[in-house]
Amino acid sequence: MSEASTSLGNETSRPVAGPRIVVPVVIIGLMACLPFVVGANSHLLGIAVRALLFIALGQAWNIVAGIGGQLSLGHGVFFGVGAYGTAILFNRFGVTPWVGGVAGATAAIAVAVLMGAATFRLRGVYFALATVAISLCLEKLARYFIGVTGGDAGLAVRFIGDSVWAAQSRGPLAFFVAALVMVVAYYALTRRLLRSRFGYQLQAIRDDEEAAAASGVPVFRTKMGGLILSAGMTALTGALYVQFYLAIDPGAAFGLAQAIQIQLPSLIGGLGTAGGPVIGGAIMILVSELTNWLSARTAFHGLDILAYGSILLVVVMFVPGGILGRTRRGA
Amino acid sequence: MSSTIVSLIQALASGILVGGVYGLFSIGFSLAFGVMRIVNFAHGELVMLGMYVAYSVYLLTGADPLFAIPIVGIFLAVIGAGLYLVVYERFVGKATLQQLLVAIAVSMIIQIVLQMIYGPETRGVQSVLGSQYFIYGPYLFSYGQIAAFLVALICVGLLELLLQKTRWGKLIRAVADDPEAAEIVGANSRAINTIAFAVSCGLAGIAGCVLVITYPVNPATGMALMPIALIATVIGGLGSIKGAFLGGIVCAVVQQLTSTFWSPALQDVPLYALLLVFLAFFPFGLLGRKTAH
Repeated sequence: MSEASTSLGNETSRPVAGPRIVVPVVIIGLMACLPFVVGANSHLLGIAVRALLFIALGQAWNIVAGIGGQLSLGHGVFFGVGAYGTAILFNRFGVTPWVGGVAGATAAIAVAVLMGAATFRLRGVYFALATVAISLCLEKLARYFIGVTGGDAGLAVRFIGDSVWAAQSRGPLAFFVAALVMVVAYYALTRRLLRSRFGYQLQAIRDDEEAAAASGVPVFRTKMGGLILSAGMTALTGALYVQFYLAIDPGAAFGLAQAIQIQLPSLIGGLGTAGGPVIGGAIMILVSELTNWLSARTAFHGLDILAYGSILLVVVMFVPGGILGRTRRGA
Repeated sequence: MSSTIVSLIQALASGILVGGVYGLFSIGFSLAFGVMRIVNFAHGELVMLGMYVAYSVYLLTGADPLFAIPIVGIFLAVIGAGLYLVVYERFVGKATLQQLLVAIAVSMIIQIVLQMIYGPETRGVQSVLGSQYFIYGPYLFSYGQIAAFLVALICVGLLELLLQKTRWGKLIRAVADDPEAAEIVGANSRAINTIAFAVSCGLAGIAGCVLVITYPVNPATGMALMPIALIATVIGGLGSIKGAFLGGIVCAVVQQLTSTFWSPALQDVPLYALLLVFLAFFPFGLLGRKTAH
């Protein structure tokens, strides 16, 4: 899959032309053509929005987990804060989601700073478990404080029809364009990051924290920077999600299944690569549509979770680097 | 006596009773971590599997879950051995992120398969013990909980005896202390690990049997129990058997107190806070040794 041996470990991000760039660019390009092929109101465009949201969340998680090596299982927290924040500000205070989304992202960044401060001294599995705990804790709180969050049933965003101010639209086209712009921007950002000083520092910490610290990488600050960037991206995607679906509930926001969904695109496509989440997200939407179709015909619910679990198992056991595999020490 | 004090004592006592069962399955979780450095995220789902199997035995034969303990325990032990050999063995020795992800995948699969078999409804058994109460003054205890606590105590005692007195137990402790050194002196770590993982899952099954007497089961139960095993184990000290039992009791007492004095819906919230505090400041827990990492 990859010709890189461990001795080349430090060159993992050298700009390689070839499938690493071509495949994701082709996927994004094909998706961009979709509205011209199927028309502006096709339900296929709605499915494409789902795919793009999968990809964008994967791209955001990839920054902290793939490039930074911190396996966060708590990204549902940032997603949920972005989604709930936008919805609550709009429903209660009539704040336009354009501002609400930024406010949600700011809140998510504040949460990320707290989370990072509490958990960065933990390594590996312990960090992951701490982020699970925070996520589950917020889920319980979201279910309890019904006045703020709508409890188990969640929140429905007040729908006022086509409106730029309210960032609402009856058709999927506007959301498709927004999600596409987001995915392209995140892709460009990730590629840039991989070749920036900050990106190298993140990767150095991922590959060997002690060695990075010894070489003068400010470990805590770099990890925090990665988490802040990732949290902000995740929350903005959450804001777009809630505008598209007009609803959010504690399970969809903070549940473990959501945290897994956020991870799968980069795990499948290739952890720590710019193109990985794009490929993985595209595969996931196919799986998700297939299982939904099967569920509707067999009366078995949760086939998508079963498929995600099986894919996660197979990928991690047999293709640990994902499709755009990158050999990685200690992994 | 004021009603607050009565509530306090009732919460403490119920917490200890429930905590025995938490301790029982947390020991299994801790054993897998201590011996193999495996964080078995699917442990809660395995307890839930035990609950469902006990429920099925009850449906088919009418047998009280207490009598199903041997069957369910052995069934889960076999599942555990299989799970170890097929999935977990390649991850032994280092608590890696890959191992954690695989365990999460296993837990998702078990949960959905059980949901497909039993449906999303909540299911419970009519145990003779579950519906009867032991009343002492203002205090009230379910016989089911008392029986569960006794079963837990017996199992923990037997396990401790096994670990301290038998050759196999000594080998397990040796592998837990230092796998390489144990290998050098001739321990067959594959066999030892398989048995240890089977025991870990068998304990989950037994815990499932006694839990289902008082707690109805639904497909979300496993996900509710897993954090408890994790938290109990971290509080007790990762890998410590006695610590995990103690940690289980601490968890249940905290839950009961929160539920009595704040809200049952929030009974897990202080547990998550405790987990973070222990992970950040007391990573070796109450009874763990510094060598545990």
